[in-house]
Amino acid sequence: MYSNKFVIFSLVLPGLLLFLFAILTPICLSIYYGFTDYTGMGTWKMVGWENYRKLMHDEAFWMSLRNSLFLAIGFICIQHPLALIVAAVLDKIKGRGENFFRCIYFIPNVISVAVIAYLWKFIYNPDFGLLNNIIKAFGGKGDINWFSAEYAIWSVLVVLIWHGFGWGMLIYYTGIKNIDPVLYEAASIDGADQKTMFLKITLPLMKPVIQVNVTMAVISALKQMETVYLLTNGGPGNRTQFAANYLYQQAFKAFKYGYGNAISVVFVIICLVTTVVLNGIFAERDERKQKRGKRGTAVYEG
Amino acid sequence: MKRKAVSAVMAAAMVMTMTAGAGSMALAEEGEKVTLKVFSNLPDRKNGQGLVEQMIIDEYMKENENVTIEVEALDEEAYKTKFKAYSMEGMPDVVSIWGQPAFLDEVVDAGVLAELNPEDYTDYKFIEGSLNGFTYDGKLYGLPRNTDVACIYYNQKMFEDNGWEIPETYDDLLALAEKISAKDIIPMAMDGGDGWPMAVYLSDVLFKLTGEDYSAVVSNAVSTGDFSDENLKKATELLKAAADAKLFQNGYDSQDYGTAMNLFTNAQAAMFYMGSWEASMALNEDIPEEIRKNIRIFTMPVIDGGKASATDITAWNGGGYAVSAASKVKEEAVRFLNYMYQPDKLSKYGWENGVGMSAQDQSPYMTDNETELQMQIVEAVNNATSVSGTPINDCGLSAFKTSIESEIQSVSNGSMSVDDFLSAIGAACK
Repeated sequence: MYSNKFVIFSLVLPGLLLFLFAILTPICLSIYYGFTDYTGMGTWKMVGWENYRKLMHDEAFWMSLRNSLFLAIGFICIQHPLALIVAAVLDKIKGRGENFFRCIYFIPNVISVAVIAYLWKFIYNPDFGLLNNIIKAFGGKGDINWFSAEYAIWSVLVVLIWHGFGWGMLIYYTGIKNIDPVLYEAASIDGADQKTMFLKITLPLMKPVIQVNVTMAVISALKQMETVYLLTNGGPGNRTQFAANYLYQQAFKAFKYGYGNAISVVFVIICLVTTVVLNGIFAERDERKQKRGKRGTAVYEG
Repeated sequence: MKRKAVSAVMAAAMVMTMTAGAGSMALAEEGEKVTLKVFSNLPDRKNGQGLVEQMIIDEYMKENENVTIEVEALDEEAYKTKFKAYSMEGMPDVVSIWGQPAFLDEVVDAGVLAELNPEDYTDYKFIEGSLNGFTYDGKLYGLPRNTDVACIYYNQKMFEDNGWEIPETYDDLLALAEKISAKDIIPMAMDGGDGWPMAVYLSDVLFKLTGEDYSAVVSNAVSTGDFSDENLKKATELLKAAADAKLFQNGYDSQDYGTAMNLFTNAQAAMFYMGSWEASMALNEDIPEEIRKNIRIFTMPVIDGGKASATDITAWNGGGYAVSAASKVKEEAVRFLNYMYQPDKLSKYGWENGVGMSAQDQSPYMTDNETELQMQIVEAVNNATSVSGTPINDCGLSAFKTSIESEIQSVSNGSMSVDDFLSAIGAACK
C-alpha cells in the first residue's frame, strides 16, 4: 500500500497544507508587510528597509533581546541543573514519595498562565504581598518594590524559571527512567557511590535529553510573551520587555503593523540562527567525541 | 457494505449542509429578524456604565421584538486589540470608540466607521463642543458618551479623623503626602501599571501650569515632535516630585487599575487618582458602607506660578459609540445608536446609576437623591471657568500614546531623566 504514490501523497498532503498555510504563508506575508507602513487598517505603501533601519536603533527592542538572553541563561544555569538534580533524586526516592513529589513539582505547569501571573502579582505586591510580609515576620522592613526598575527583571525571571521547572524536570525524569538499571547495579557492585553514578552514568546517558531540553529552553526564552504580558506588560518603562511582547505592543497597540512585522521577521531569523548554532555546537561535540573514540580504538587495535 | 455506509453518511451530511444553507437564506430573505452585534469596552454588565448599556439594550429588544442584540464586551486593552482585528475581517454593527486622535485618526482613515447625520442630533442636547472630537473634516463619525473629569477621590472621614485638609496648592498636596505617610497610610493610590492614568495626571499638572495655552502647547509639541517647551518640562518634573514625595503607593508603576482602586476602597489609601466615571463607587455595595459614603473629590490644586485657577479643570469627552461602515444592517444600527442617545436613556440612566456626567444635558434628571459625590462632580463642571480638553496621551497617534504611557513609568520612578523622556516621546511623534 505504501508503494502507491497516491497513498503517500494523500498522507503527506494534510501536513504539507498545514505547513504551507499555517506557517509558510504567514511568514511570507510578514516579510512583505515588514517592508510597508501598514497600520493594520486601510491602505499601505512600501517603505523599503525603513522599518529595519529603525529597528537597529530601537533601544526597547535591544533591551527585550537582552532580557531574553538573561532568561535563556537563567534557564540553562539555574532551572535545568536543578531540574536534572531533582529528577535524579526523585528516581532514587522510589515508591509513593516519588509520585507525590513528581506531582508537586509539576503543579505550576498545569495551572493557567493567567492564574500564575496574578498569583505572583499578589506575592510580589509591595503593600500587602506575601513576600514582603514574610520579610516583616523575620523582622525586616518589608517594603521592597519587587517590580521597581532595579528588581523587576529578576522578579520576572524567578516566576518564569519557577513556572517552567516542572516541564524540564519531567523530561529529565523520563530520560532517567529510560536508563538501564543494570548499569547502576554494576556500578554499585564496583563500589561507585551515588555522586559517581550520577556523574559517570546518568549525566553522560542523559546527554541527548539535555540537548533537546536546552534547545527548547533557549527557544522558549526567546518566545516568552504571555507571562510577561500579564505580569508587567514589559514595564516599568521597558525594563521587563521581551521581544514577543514588544512586537505585539508595536503591531496591535501602537498601530505600527508594518514595524511589528519587521520585528517578527528579525525575531524568526534570531530563533532559527539560535537553533542552528545550538545544533551545530552539540553536533560538533558529538563528532569530536566520536573521532576521539575511533582514534582511541585504532590505537588500541594497533 | 462499508462503502455503502460511508456513502450514506456522506449523502446525509450533504443534504444537511444544503438544507442548513437554504434555511439561512430564507431567513435573510424574510428581512424581519435582525441581529445587531454590539462590541463594547464595558465588560462589567452589572455595575456602572456596563449596567446602563445593558439596560438600554434590553429595553430596545423588548420594544423591537424582531431585533436581537448580541453583546461582546472586553476590557479596554483587549478591546482595542480586537477592534483592530475586526477592522480587517468585518466590524460588528455598533462599537465603542474614543473621540481622540490616538484612537480615531487611524480608524477614520481606514474608513471603518459609518458617517452619521448631525441633523439627527439637534434635539439630543449634546453639550457644546462635545461632538468635536468625533468630527473629522466636517463629518460626524460617532457620539460621545461621557464628560470625563480628572478627580482626586478622597476618604472624607479619614481626612477629618486625622485633621488633614484638602490641599490648596500643589506644594500642599506634597506636604499632605508626608503627613499621611507618617500615619502608615498610602497617600494616593495610582494605577501606574497602565500608564494612562499617570499621563492624565501629567495633563492635569500641565493644564494647571499653562491654563488656556494647554491645547496650543500640546498640539504644537505633538505636531512637531519637539517637547522642549518649559511647561512640559516643569509638568514632568512635578510628576516626578510627586513620586519622590511618596504621594503614590510603593510599586505604583507596576500596579493595575483594580489593585489601585482596592487600596482606596479598603481604606489602605487616603486618595485615589481617577476619572469621574468612578463616581459609581458611592453606590457600589461591594465597598464597605463607611467608606463608600465618605468618598468625595477635589480637583488638582493650583500650582505656584501656574496660569490656571482652582476652577479650571481637566475634563474631556472621551468614550462614545459609532456604527460600522460595513454593517449589513446599518439602518437598524443607526436606529439603535439614536435610541441609546435619546436624552432619557444614556444620560438619564447614567445619572440614576451614579456613573458620572454624560455628554448631554443631565439637569432634567436631577432627583435630589443624588449622592454627594455626584453633586460634587456636577458642581466642579458647572463652576468650571475653563476645561482642558483631551489629555496629552490621546492627542497624538497611537505610536505616541504607546510611547508616553510606557516611558512615563520610567521618568516618574527616576530610571529615565526628564530630558530623555521628553525627547523619547517627541521621537514617537515623528
